[in-house]
Amino acid sequence: MGERYTFLNREPLNLSSYKFLLLYMTSYRYIGRRVPRIDARDKVTGRTVYSTDRYSENMLRARVLRSSLPHAKIIRLDVSRARELPGVEAVLTHEDIPGHNGFGIVTPNWPVLCVDRVRYRGDALALVAARDEETAEEALSLIEVEYEPLPIIETPEEALREDAPLIHEGGNIQHSMDIPPKGDVEKGLAESDIVIEETYSTQFMEHAYLETEGGVAIYDEEEGVITVWCGDQYAFRDQLQIARSLDWDPLKIRVIGSPTGGAFGGKDEISVQIHLALLAYYTKKPVRLHWSREESIVAGPKRHAMKTTFRIGMGNDGKLKAIDVKVVANTGAYDTIAGPVLNLSLESSPGPYKYPQSRFRGISVYTNNAMGGEFRGFGAAQVVFGLEQELDKLAERLGMDPIEFRLLNAVEEGDISALGHRLQTSVGIKETLEAARKTDLWRDREKIKRDLNAAARYKKFGVGVASEWHAVGLGVGLPDFSNIIVEIHEGGEIILRTGAIEIGQGNLTAYAQMLAEALGCDIEKIKVIHGDTFESPDSGTVTASRSILINGNAILDAVKTLQPKLIEIAADKFGIPGDELEYSDGRVSFRSDPDRTLTLAELADHAGSSGVPIKVTGTAVFATSDKDFGDGLPHNYYTYITQIALVGVDTGTGEVEVLKVISLPEMGKAINVDGVEGQCEGAVVMGQGYTLYENVVVEKGEFKTTGFATYILPTALDVPEQETVIVEKFEKSGPFGAKGVGEAPTVPVTPAIVNAIYDAVRVRFKKLPITPEAVLEKMRDLAGTEER
Amino acid sequence: MEEITVQFMLNGKAVRVETPPAFTLLRLLRERLGLTGTKPGCERGECGACTVLLDGEPVNSCLILAPQVEGREVLTIEGLADGDKLNPIQEAFIEKSAVQCGYCIPGMIMSATALLDTNPEPSRDEIKTAISGNLCRCTGYTKIIRAIEVAAERIRKR
Repeated sequence: MGERYTFLNREPLNLSSYKFLLLYMTSYRYIGRRVPRIDARDKVTGRTVYSTDRYSENMLRARVLRSSLPHAKIIRLDVSRARELPGVEAVLTHEDIPGHNGFGIVTPNWPVLCVDRVRYRGDALALVAARDEETAEEALSLIEVEYEPLPIIETPEEALREDAPLIHEGGNIQHSMDIPPKGDVEKGLAESDIVIEETYSTQFMEHAYLETEGGVAIYDEEEGVITVWCGDQYAFRDQLQIARSLDWDPLKIRVIGSPTGGAFGGKDEISVQIHLALLAYYTKKPVRLHWSREESIVAGPKRHAMKTTFRIGMGNDGKLKAIDVKVVANTGAYDTIAGPVLNLSLESSPGPYKYPQSRFRGISVYTNNAMGGEFRGFGAAQVVFGLEQELDKLAERLGMDPIEFRLLNAVEEGDISALGHRLQTSVGIKETLEAARKTDLWRDREKIKRDLNAAARYKKFGVGVASEWHAVGLGVGLPDFSNIIVEIHEGGEIILRTGAIEIGQGNLTAYAQMLAEALGCDIEKIKVIHGDTFESPDSGTVTASRSILINGNAILDAVKTLQPKLIEIAADKFGIPGDELEYSDGRVSFRSDPDRTLTLAELADHAGSSGVPIKVTGTAVFATSDKDFGDGLPHNYYTYITQIALVGVDTGTGEVEVLKVISLPEMGKAINVDGVEGQCEGAVVMGQGYTLYENVVVEKGEFKTTGFATYILPTALDVPEQETVIVEKFEKSGPFGAKGVGEAPTVPVTPAIVNAIYDAVRVRFKKLPITPEAVLEKMRDLAGTEER
Repeated sequence: MEEITVQFMLNGKAVRVETPPAFTLLRLLRERLGLTGTKPGCERGECGACTVLLDGEPVNSCLILAPQVEGREVLTIEGLADGDKLNPIQEAFIEKSAVQCGYCIPGMIMSATALLDTNPEPSRDEIKTAISGNLCRCTGYTKIIRAIEVAAERIRKR
């Protein structure tokens, strides 16, 4: 059994001690360049082994019995006939769970297997493991369940009625959050020259990673170790959640969570892990469980559906005076991480703008609808959709240019935010807006629209802009740390161990770049061992756009320890005092004679022969905000971003075509330029899907969208031309000046498209997705109004 | 159910394999032949992750039954590289950073292969059409389209 490394260093980094690293790195070899991904070769040849690619001779196939009703009491659950079917090795129910029957990142109230009640269509009732898929499927059909249906609650409005049935004993409000108000918002609104109010609503959104949830587990009876391979976002949390349900020593549960065939937040929570571990434990055979696409849509978490009401006041000078925001989230049946999602909705809702008075209130409500959960953009996409339309409306009231209006109100480093905390890390919103203003698309937009219109008279064209700040890191009060290990082996191979998962974002390549740059070695020498609870240390979860900043700082911390150690080894080898030696560019050399050197390989060989392998650990903890509103709020780091969209609207069909999107992110320093562009390009298309096509349709708790024929994702034929303008701003506490960029570009693209549609056809939308039918209806309404 | 024997050409080599008659080509490749580069994404022909070439034509291997490939030629992602030497499409995908999570990539590359085999000078719209049955959730397709353009140029220059 491998070593386990767990550290939790709560001391923030003293970054002044890293200056030595930055001083000699005036020009970088790897940082800020286009570096091909270290995992790409295996991915283009089909050699990458995802957890769902694991098969073995005697491997059992597992299936999950899901509830056939969205809300009901379970009167009887009889698995006896299924157990008797030849080829069936195990049929498990809640009675077979040794430990806690529940999971959840924050509150573990999502049942592993339901006991006496089902609360949504994805609820699990029983597990089957059989010799093949067909037998497992047949066994499911032999399980008898008798239900007593309960009223189905679809929306928060229904759930909040006085006579509504309770979905959980404690009531239907899952979480509520009132950020301490700043000033007096009613007074601020009363003193405003212009006040606008609007409510926006958004739909449930599916992650639609191409690899659905799945994996394999084996139980090694001799060692007492259960190993689970499952593409996830945080193997160490999965390990603890499995241990809690199996009543097992976590150190005897090995989770290998990488690589992951797409995650986007949807694989931070448990899916198959506990089910697999239970089946492996009971059958003592390797077990494979891989959700179907329909199961992934029905059972897995979604982007929360939300309703957001804004009241915003402004002076005639264009300065924002007050903002009052209320958010109601439809969270579905269980908690998972709904509280933090709602909190981030509130934190994101004012945007990167100054308001002297503010108030932010929200509730998250249980229903029997789809399960709300974590999704890239984390509560921000829902609210920024509304806010950035409100801002355009305000600018229009004063006849101001939308970018000028945002610049007039944008925050700067050192300012007090709308929430009341000091912005003490890099703030680049103004730079992104200024760069946006200089793009050809923005500057020449009237001509571009005219030219396009001349070629297609039946279409109208528009250009829209929107911005966002997106929190980086988990937030104040939460364990927001990383640990990594660097080893140098004989022959000069450098091993970087991190618990971080590769979910597609390219973080492994960025870590290798940062380590190679800090050590001054070739990136090819670095091997990254990651995402395995027995082989790598706990680096925290891969979420909240956090992993570049925190793991980068942990890598620099390790290098800081490593360099004196290397000098010590060289001193031992040469038999001279260490202060006569210095480290640079992957070697230790004599200060007096720079040609006398020892390379990393030679140092490792010497250390190896002395029986002291070179191995150092690095740790980092997020520096936090000067305020603490509770539950992780607020954050200390933000990605700032502006996006511009060019759209064409077909006035006959109502179809919206997104022709071009420019993303201008400020994420500190870009570590890998291709990586930043890739994050922006993928995020833009995800945001385009959210805006125009994607909608998890659930009626009376039943899913109407069960695959990609009904849940429509953008294809290569639908996507815009894209450009990414990286707006760099050095963040002094980030590795090489970096923050993070994974989520932000998913968010303002939506209001940028919606503002562009308004620019084209003068209609606004309070609800997503914006279907051709909705566009036509609004255009007809507008024509009717104009005729009158 | 009784298994049957299927014989076909797989990545240039003759294979003979036992299969349940109701197995799809996708499952045959993954579960009996150990070729897991071909990915299941939906198993109902809606995502393209399982794309392989059947007699040179791109098909969703989840929609082809194993007995249907009897006597035919199947090319999968594992059959593209010549030992350690990658083909120009694979090389361009690496170079242009067209890969993120990578799960759609084998199917994407197979669709691109079918395109460039028949149309060495595709327009951007032809490339988009050729991969329009392959969903990707990570990349937004931009770098994938660019990689296929670069591969096409390189193939033409040979």
